[in-house]
Amino acid sequence: MLRNKVLLTFLCVCLAAPGIDAAASRYGGNLVETVASDPKTFNDIVATDVNSTAVTSLFLEGLTTADPVTLKVIPDLARSWEASSDGLRWTFHLRKDVKWSDGVGFTADDVLFTFNDLIYNPDIPSSSKDVLTIEGKPLKVEKIDNFTVRFTLPVKFAPFLRAMAQTILPRHCLWQTVQQKRFTFSWGIDTPPAQIIGTGPFLLSEYHPGERLVFKRNPHYWKRSSQGEALPYLDHIIFMIIPDAQAQLLKFIDGELDAIALSGRDYPLLKPLERSKDFHIYEAGADYDSNFVTFNQNPGLHPKTSRPFVDPVKLSWFTNVQFRRAVAHAIDKKRLIEILNNGFGLPQNSAMSPSSGSFYDPQVTVYDYDLGKARGILKQAGFKYRPDGMLEDPQGHPVEFNLYTSDAGTASREQTAAIIRSDLEAIGMKVNLVPVEFNTLVNKLTSSFDWDMVMIGLTGGVEPHFGQNVWRSSGGLHLWDPNQLKPVSPWEKRIDEIYDQAAQELDDSKRKELYDEWQRITADELPVIYTVLGMDLFAVRNKFGNLKPSANGGAFPRPEEIYIKK
Amino acid sequence: MIKHIIQRILSTILLLLAVSFFTFWLIHATPGNFFDSLRLNPQISQSTVEHYEKLYHLNDPLLWQYFHWVINIFHGEWGYSLYYNVPVTHVLGSRLFNTFVLSFTSLILTWGIGIPLGIWAALRRNHWIDRMLSVFSFAAFSTPGFFLAVLVLYAASRWGGLPLGGMHSPNYDDMNLLDKIKDTLLHLVIPAGVLSLSSMASLQRIMRGNMLGVLRQQYILAARAKGLPEGIVIYRHALRNAFNPLVTLLGYEFAALLSGAALIEIVCSWPGLGSLLLTAVRAKDVYLVMSSTLMGGVLLIMGNVLADILLTWVDPRIRYEKRR
Repeated sequence: MLRNKVLLTFLCVCLAAPGIDAAASRYGGNLVETVASDPKTFNDIVATDVNSTAVTSLFLEGLTTADPVTLKVIPDLARSWEASSDGLRWTFHLRKDVKWSDGVGFTADDVLFTFNDLIYNPDIPSSSKDVLTIEGKPLKVEKIDNFTVRFTLPVKFAPFLRAMAQTILPRHCLWQTVQQKRFTFSWGIDTPPAQIIGTGPFLLSEYHPGERLVFKRNPHYWKRSSQGEALPYLDHIIFMIIPDAQAQLLKFIDGELDAIALSGRDYPLLKPLERSKDFHIYEAGADYDSNFVTFNQNPGLHPKTSRPFVDPVKLSWFTNVQFRRAVAHAIDKKRLIEILNNGFGLPQNSAMSPSSGSFYDPQVTVYDYDLGKARGILKQAGFKYRPDGMLEDPQGHPVEFNLYTSDAGTASREQTAAIIRSDLEAIGMKVNLVPVEFNTLVNKLTSSFDWDMVMIGLTGGVEPHFGQNVWRSSGGLHLWDPNQLKPVSPWEKRIDEIYDQAAQELDDSKRKELYDEWQRITADELPVIYTVLGMDLFAVRNKFGNLKPSANGGAFPRPEEIYIKK
Repeated sequence: MIKHIIQRILSTILLLLAVSFFTFWLIHATPGNFFDSLRLNPQISQSTVEHYEKLYHLNDPLLWQYFHWVINIFHGEWGYSLYYNVPVTHVLGSRLFNTFVLSFTSLILTWGIGIPLGIWAALRRNHWIDRMLSVFSFAAFSTPGFFLAVLVLYAASRWGGLPLGGMHSPNYDDMNLLDKIKDTLLHLVIPAGVLSLSSMASLQRIMRGNMLGVLRQQYILAARAKGLPEGIVIYRHALRNAFNPLVTLLGYEFAALLSGAALIEIVCSWPGLGSLLLTAVRAKDVYLVMSSTLMGGVLLIMGNVLADILLTWVDPRIRYEKRR
């Protein structure tokens, strides 16, 4: 009898199961990822590092966002927007169904607070301020009604919509800290997770320094799936903090981690395990972060010693474009990719990464690896070869200079520099490789200017305008000859013009033409010589659904849509 | 005795001031500061970097910065971490605890196994077990700890069974107390085991040598000649004397509680002070470095004082009071 009852109950459960929407089983489960280091803060306004912003992007959102695959700007907290015909006034209509995770409604006041009280607050240091200040002026942000906000721009600004991905912070939680001038230190890593509020799909629930970050589902999240289900599907996203890449790899193989980003070098180790360990390796396209060498073309004198920053003899080589072109021909990018990325990389020729979508111009001058050509260019420029193969300049000075570099993070720059050094020796240049501490290198590049050649990298992105500090002749990161009062050369002048025009050009195809011209100029004039771009590789367990890995968004560009296949 | 301790504490304060000043000076003697990494970010302007520098008083005169920090310590404030944007004490707190868990476990393992092994080997000199132990000790002593840790981690990843680094499993927060303890202990096996192995080996050799030295002494001969039972000869007379030099060593081990595990911590992703300090030094997070150096200094001196006190207890010949 009892057994019958059990059986009956069992049958009922079985019968009931199909009654529940089949997709409902998508709910539940955890995703265990890894980050290399602790976040520095949960305060997105003062955050300056990717480890922090990777975390804040789970619980904070902006008015717009970029589609991780097409890179187009799409609505997020703003439902829609329109621009006035002169492109100066933008009206955003906010979603009315958005709630902060403590249940308070999201309104125009939060947007105004974020811009007027946080970003443009002179007491708060913020890199957002740098992005959102146009020709020295802030944007004017006004409230039309509770769900409508108007931005007035001082001049036309093409990257405006993309910049509106700026995350919005909750006014009701934070306005007091602003009044007490404590905002810069609020939402730090010592803040209890329950006090950190957002509109995003996940909320911080635990933080154990040096160990892990646990995020839980935001029950108030507004976004729904295409079938109308409340997102997110996952219960938790857990980030294990593991600084060592080898340890990450072992823990992934062991099963503790569900996903890792891997380097090309680890590919041969992981690939054979795909089937037995039930995961797949995704190739998400080229990386954004460029690596390059550049020569010091700074003609200035040291203000204290009034000695030149660069020895005039060397300066005459470095400012000679033929010299730089010869160097470009001598760098064996294929070998770099083989050695550094185990074949998973692309030679970089243009200043933009192929992953930056339409702004990438593939039609730039390519300097193929050809030592004969390199020697020919040098000879044409008046350089001569001594009997022992050493290169000397037209005045008979041997071509010898220092190559500075520094290993930062996981990038193997010292190794790249060593290979380039041997490449340049093949065309008779004597290069002394000088690895230094990162701070020393920064100091050389931005204040003491005493360097010959540097191997370094800069972070890149989709929007070329945000690299203006590198490309404008007046920019502080115009590394080869920074802070020019007036552009020294015609092509630098032209790039300044391009950056001025493109920032105000609202027509995408005309903007692309301008940036294409900039990429062609830089490839011809070679102020920097790019090396190789790595490929973004992600290994992810097969149990997850809705995966769309991309170079722009990482392994999980839309974590709210990820579910566990049952 | 008390007077001696007070004297030690006074000299300690001077010493700590010197240590902290030296650390401070060294960090500032190398070029650049913490915010240099921001300077190479194309999206951050020079004025924002300067704003940060001002916020943390990095442009004030150096001596003033230092005295400011020292004075604040007496108010219980150890300065702000530039990297983490919160008070240094908050960053150090949890890391200190984790490092203590690891170091203390390995200290117990080292002394709990090393000492008995040493005595045992001394009493069975040239027995095959003693020779085996010698071979084992030399091997363990000469293998660098971090290298051994990597090997063990690879072995564990191949054959499974043990967690590969870290201190807790990802689902630790959902466990009950018993599982939590078990989880932590399992995570401790590799780092604590590797950490104690080489010091265990050296401790075993030292203990063995001391013991053999003492056993050759005349008073042992006298004790035996008196007809004392062998157990009393060894454990009351020989052991106490052989143990003497090791007490000083224990004082140093106490100091190494904080710093000794750094390499193993990094290899085994143990969330302790080691990895924290490494990034802090490289990033020039001034006050974080100074505060943890200071704590290391305090522990070293405390360990020495502790060893001195222990010595008076073990060795009746040592007295700090004025002789009457």
